[in-house]
Amino acid sequence: MSSEPEPVVRIRELKHDRVNFVLENVDMALANSIRRVMIADIPTVAIDLVEIDSNTSVLPDEFIAHRLGMIPLVSTACDEAMRYSRDCTCETNCAFCSVVLELNIRSEILGLHLDVTSNHLEIAPARPGVMDEVGEELSKRVENFGLPVGKNNPNVPPVLIARLGKGQEIRARCIAKKGIAKEHAKWSPCSAVSFEYDPHNKLRHTSYWFESDAKAEWPTSRNATEEEPPRDDEPFDYLAKPNKFYMEVETDGSLGPQEVVMKGLQELQTKLANLILGLKAEPEVDILQNSEQNQGPGPAGGSAQNAGSWNSRPTGGAGGGWGASPAGRGSGSWSPTTNNWGNRSSPNTGGGGWGGSSPANAGWSSSGDAAGAGWGNQAGAQGGTWGNTATSAQGAGWGSPGQQSNGWNV
Amino acid sequence: MNAPNRYELYVLEEGERPVEVVEDTKIPNAATIKIVKQDHTLGNMLRAQLLSMPQVLFAGYKVPHPLHPYFLIKVQTDGTVAPTALVEQACQKLIATIASLEAKFKREFTFKGVDGAVPEAGPYGQGAEMSWPGQKDYLDL
Ligand SMILES: [Zn+2]
Repeated sequence: MSSEPEPVVRIRELKHDRVNFVLENVDMALANSIRRVMIADIPTVAIDLVEIDSNTSVLPDEFIAHRLGMIPLVSTACDEAMRYSRDCTCETNCAFCSVVLELNIRSEILGLHLDVTSNHLEIAPARPGVMDEVGEELSKRVENFGLPVGKNNPNVPPVLIARLGKGQEIRARCIAKKGIAKEHAKWSPCSAVSFEYDPHNKLRHTSYWFESDAKAEWPTSRNATEEEPPRDDEPFDYLAKPNKFYMEVETDGSLGPQEVVMKGLQELQTKLANLILGLKAEPEVDILQNSEQNQGPGPAGGSAQNAGSWNSRPTGGAGGGWGASPAGRGSGSWSPTTNNWGNRSSPNTGGGGWGGSSPANAGWSSSGDAAGAGWGNQAGAQGGTWGNTATSAQGAGWGSPGQQSNGWNV
Repeated sequence: MNAPNRYELYVLEEGERPVEVVEDTKIPNAATIKIVKQDHTLGNMLRAQLLSMPQVLFAGYKVPHPLHPYFLIKVQTDGTVAPTALVEQACQKLIATIASLEAKFKREFTFKGVDGAVPEAGPYGQGAEMSWPGQKDYLDL
């Protein structure tokens, strides 16, 4: 595996809201990580707090607040154009870490309902006296930053929030913040990411249900033209690994597809770089632990001074039996009973703990491909199928332009 | 009201160490590394990269509990390299691979942008494509 072929990227289709590409000569794990990072790790802006002044519509406050959160807001370059509230110096929210949108609408026409849509959200006038701090974030914002995607564009149907009868009104102050979809799916820039490999199922990662002949009954994927169909007499190559991945990234409009892909790749590199940094910082801790260990075998036997340093390690003791187990590294004071793997006589029998291939949630998957646990339907690329992610349901959704004709006739 | 902040699932706490190495006492050249505030995105990718390296005898990862925001990765090497050094190498190799992918994506995007006439005045296009200050060249809404 030392001379791996270079990875290949080919974009098959690029539209304003989607990109379809083929990835070759990469490992499935890497392709899946790219998919996961695009769905869950890229920051966008979304309404996070709603202060409702008045709501006399038929919908309860929390219903409206939830719908407001789902509206995609223009988030171009928001990693630089906005701070996370948790990193900001302000008390609750300010111009650097939030965009405030106001909804202020009342129906006055008898006999006709009034549709409240994302077009009615307006940027709130800046509150005087708050902006004495200096920050460069604001200069990096595009003109319509934080506004609903497609606002006042006649070609884009707005997102329906509620319908008002005569005399009903909604007055709300919506505070939009930066976040990622690991916290809430409303921050995902992707409305769908499809992921397919091995369209002919040569690897047999899936099995087709059939009446009499799977080949006749199942339509082939459009990606099947990219790969040679298997010959009828072709023996099953059980060592073969998937090598070519077909992906389509569809965004909700908060970010463009290009930004999503590039930011996703950058985010992956950041994760890896942080891990390298973390590993580099680690040896000092080991030395510290060893000196502690040489003085006393464990928390119970430690001197007062040692006890203090034990307590000062915030992560020590996490996960139950791990507590005392950093011991033993060359210190000779290690006791098997303090070790999490302890009571098993020999860990490398692999009976339970370190099983080589179990893809189960908490099992060690040394060969399982996309693991199962974790972020709901975002985990796990399913063998040879189209894994969709149902994220932000926008009203009845114009996430896909193809559905626009169906509109949002609620 | 007393729910922990959800960002605690992916942001390191004040002073929290991102990595914790526990060397195995029963198996030679093996270590278990706890990587905090990361998930399958990093774990599975790293595991696959480690397995493709000839010095590795074993590599596996697990997320012990879906509500605990960390994963463990266990590596055993053939003794020529320390497990932690090998994990670092794996990270470096992955970064190189992703960087090369990034360059290729960038080329493809500019190529498609030129002759594919992508920035069509589509549904969301109108506002966003107007006034990008022009620092980054890959924003194309
Ligand atoms: Zn702030």
